[in-house]
Amino acid sequence: MYSKKWTVILGALMVVSMLLSACATPTPEEVIIEVTKIVEGETVVEQVVVTATPEPPAAEMRDNVLHVSFGPGDVPTLDPSLGTDTSSIQVVEEITVGLVRLHEETLAIEPGMAESWDLSDDGKTYTFHLREGIPWVRWNGSAVEEVLDADGNVRYVTAHDFEYGTKRTVNPETGSGYAYVLGMTMAGVEDYLYAENWDELSDEEKAELRDGVGVKALDDYTLEMTFLTEAAYNLNISGMWVARAEPQWLIEEKGDRWSEPGFNQGYGPYALKEWVHDSTMTIVANPFWPGIESVPQPVIKEVQFSMLDASAAFAEYEAGNMEVAGVPSADIDRVKADPTLSEELIIAPDGCAYYYGFNTEKAPVDNVHMRRALSYAVDRLDLVENVTKGGQEPAQWFCRPGMAGCPTMETHPDLGIKSSADKAKEELALYMEEMGYADVSEIPEVQLMHNTSEGHKQIAEAIAEMWHETLGIQPTVTNQEWKVYLKTIRSEDVPAVWRLGWCLDYPDANNFTREVFAKGGSGNPEVGGLNWLNEDFEQIVLDAAVEPDPVKRTQMYADAEQILVYEDAAVLPIYWYTMVNVTKPYVNRTYSNHGHDYYEKWSLELEK
Amino acid sequence: MGRYIIQRFLWMFFVLFVISMITFAMMHAVPGGPFTQEKALPPEIIANLEKRYHLDEPYWKQYLLYIDKVMVPHISKDANPEMMDEALVGISLPGGNYLRWINFGPSYSSRSRTVNDIFREQLPVSIQLGIISMAVAITIGLPLGVISALKQNTIWDFLGMSVAIFGVSMPVVAMGPILIWIFGVTLKWLPPTGWGAKPPFTLFFIPNTIGSWDFWKHTLMPAFAVGTGYSAIIARLTRASLLQVIHEDYIRTARAKGLSERVVTTRHALRNALIPVVTILGPMFAGVLTGLFVVEQVFGIPGMGKYFITSITNRDYPVIMGAVLMYAFFLVVSNVFVDITYAWLDPRIRYD
Repeated sequence: MYSKKWTVILGALMVVSMLLSACATPTPEEVIIEVTKIVEGETVVEQVVVTATPEPPAAEMRDNVLHVSFGPGDVPTLDPSLGTDTSSIQVVEEITVGLVRLHEETLAIEPGMAESWDLSDDGKTYTFHLREGIPWVRWNGSAVEEVLDADGNVRYVTAHDFEYGTKRTVNPETGSGYAYVLGMTMAGVEDYLYAENWDELSDEEKAELRDGVGVKALDDYTLEMTFLTEAAYNLNISGMWVARAEPQWLIEEKGDRWSEPGFNQGYGPYALKEWVHDSTMTIVANPFWPGIESVPQPVIKEVQFSMLDASAAFAEYEAGNMEVAGVPSADIDRVKADPTLSEELIIAPDGCAYYYGFNTEKAPVDNVHMRRALSYAVDRLDLVENVTKGGQEPAQWFCRPGMAGCPTMETHPDLGIKSSADKAKEELALYMEEMGYADVSEIPEVQLMHNTSEGHKQIAEAIAEMWHETLGIQPTVTNQEWKVYLKTIRSEDVPAVWRLGWCLDYPDANNFTREVFAKGGSGNPEVGGLNWLNEDFEQIVLDAAVEPDPVKRTQMYADAEQILVYEDAAVLPIYWYTMVNVTKPYVNRTYSNHGHDYYEKWSLELEK
Repeated sequence: MGRYIIQRFLWMFFVLFVISMITFAMMHAVPGGPFTQEKALPPEIIANLEKRYHLDEPYWKQYLLYIDKVMVPHISKDANPEMMDEALVGISLPGGNYLRWINFGPSYSSRSRTVNDIFREQLPVSIQLGIISMAVAITIGLPLGVISALKQNTIWDFLGMSVAIFGVSMPVVAMGPILIWIFGVTLKWLPPTGWGAKPPFTLFFIPNTIGSWDFWKHTLMPAFAVGTGYSAIIARLTRASLLQVIHEDYIRTARAKGLSERVVTTRHALRNALIPVVTILGPMFAGVLTGLFVVEQVFGIPGMGKYFITSITNRDYPVIMGAVLMYAFFLVVSNVFVDITYAWLDPRIRYD
């Protein structure tokens, strides 16, 4: 009974489908299929002609646009000579390419605008052979176009542009914040950049100083760079944003305005499309970028950076309007508990370190045992798990593991300071004995100062509590507004304990251990800071800079760190930063270890 | 009246002059400079930067240089308005000359921009948000206050004042994220952050997208978050003021001569009751139009408000001066408007 009914229904269906197929224009493909039916107990196979089901409506597609967040506040500049902050440098890295480029994961040096290079016998001079045929480009309001010169010829990036850009960075009149990196390393820069009585020099004298700078275009595609010493990080520096090609014709016409949208010219995998100040910045794939092994042609057509506060950016992410966002610290617990968000969460290392410095001339921290006691007494694991909560790594020393030359926890598990209440008490006892104190109340008061911020305050209070619990020492915790604070810790009245952080400029131990704590560094200035000078330390970091053998070099930095955080205990390392990010599952991305992302290596799964 | 207004504007220049002097003195008295950074710059580089911006000159000279650029019109041959010395008022004169007036100088922290750029691109956004927020505040606040006063000690009064107390005690910093969470993230009706208009603007502040839903949907949440807070203040003030006026003799007279209750309230009571309300509306407007730090931060609006804070933390001297003077200008102008409104509300007030 049932089967008959089915036959009728099937028959009717066939008629309808044939009618439909007859009407439909254009005729959809007809497909012959075999239908197995059971007619009154017998299995009958019939051939049925049906039309193919019309294609389901095309799957909804995403725009090939990546939305990421930059944090609040306008991007300060897109001028490679002037950039000092992460956002500026991130965009500069995408709209221009250095002579060499660092692989974002392995941190290996790869060819960038230079196809290859030779090193002179004395190890100080690099001769770069540049790629030919890479044009300067600009966004003309509707498309990326090549920049033409006055005669209508395409302007290609040449060695002269690199020479011009590098010399512009170190021109004293440019006032570049990062020129000092070249000053420390490149030949001839110091005399020019720090020239005395600059205003009184004649034009010839100025030109002479400029010509002395160790960068020279030998021809259109050959560039020579001369460094002060043979050093492992020289190549790193040649690839930094302070040594990029810059459009001389544009800068001479527009002055500081040249990097603004509408004028901006670049030559990287992306080009600047739009910059709504304080709101968004958009870069668009540059079709004239040829695509090389280290810097492929972009897959994602546009990247839009939003200048949003962390909570605002995270709300956009949750609303589905942003592909990558940082997680505000208040939301970290919720994200970890959420089944979807926890899958999208990645806590990755960041090239920054958080530390306290001791004023080694101020009582009671003018005594090494006291400093060690305070350092041992900080339970770093407890701090990152219960106070900062961002998955930070407890630091036993300063140099961020992962940077070339920095020791790692695998190679040097026992290096530096391992938090330990027992050892803290031992060191305190040694201090009391040395000073002849019978009771902790006799110890002069420890002042701890940080710059005004809720996060720093929480950390300072937690550490104060640890010192109180373990050692019975109750420090006075004070804070000052940022720039007032910087002035204080670089003056004669440095408090006993102060805090600072450091983020990499280039991923090398030289940028950490030496540039921060050798005399004259950011944490150990001529006046204030640590008020510390250790000749052995100075010598080791000087030698390590030029040590060619990587294993030996790492060991040298390990030795320097041991002096810094244990033997002299001038610095109290606290933790290494991490980036707490969420990424939508349809983004194929790389995770960068050097602070900026290379979006040309990312892609989106466009089908929804 | 005309004379009075002219007088007030002449006074304004004096006031702005004094404010500029005090601000200049105060910002240079604070320790730390624009180039004090975490990564300490070598003193030579700081010296170069300071020379570039004339910060190496004695203070009195820096101040005079500043006043000269802002207040004195300059005529020169060079007519490239895209350069960094561009001015708020730039007029081409015959003979290839170019007149520049009101040049607030460069920004130290955004080196490719000037303070005038910030005014041109960020201030209009704040004005847009400010006008819409104040419209919300007045539309909610005024009726609420009037109803509460007229129906004093009834359920309406109680309800109205509860709403007002809620508005006062619910700051934007709490209300904003809640609104974003409900309408932006969960219901997805409104964009959580951002602004639906970008430069250039018509007549300095009118967005070119004013006719589109995209503009308005970005304004709803922030305008509501700001508006309710201010509406509460307006409602409470209106209520208190109206209650006082209603017991005045002239209201009794109006009733005694047989005017309808509606005429008594609108023409006599409310009009007089508005004087204190208008008094606070002036500075309120000036404050709202020149930017609101918190709401801009919460909703990611590219307005002027954050520059009042960040310019100080950055020691970006020209931006500090520009922002303070601009706010002072708005304040003075809005107070002139308040004075004019007084005369209109209360015929007894005359300035001549």
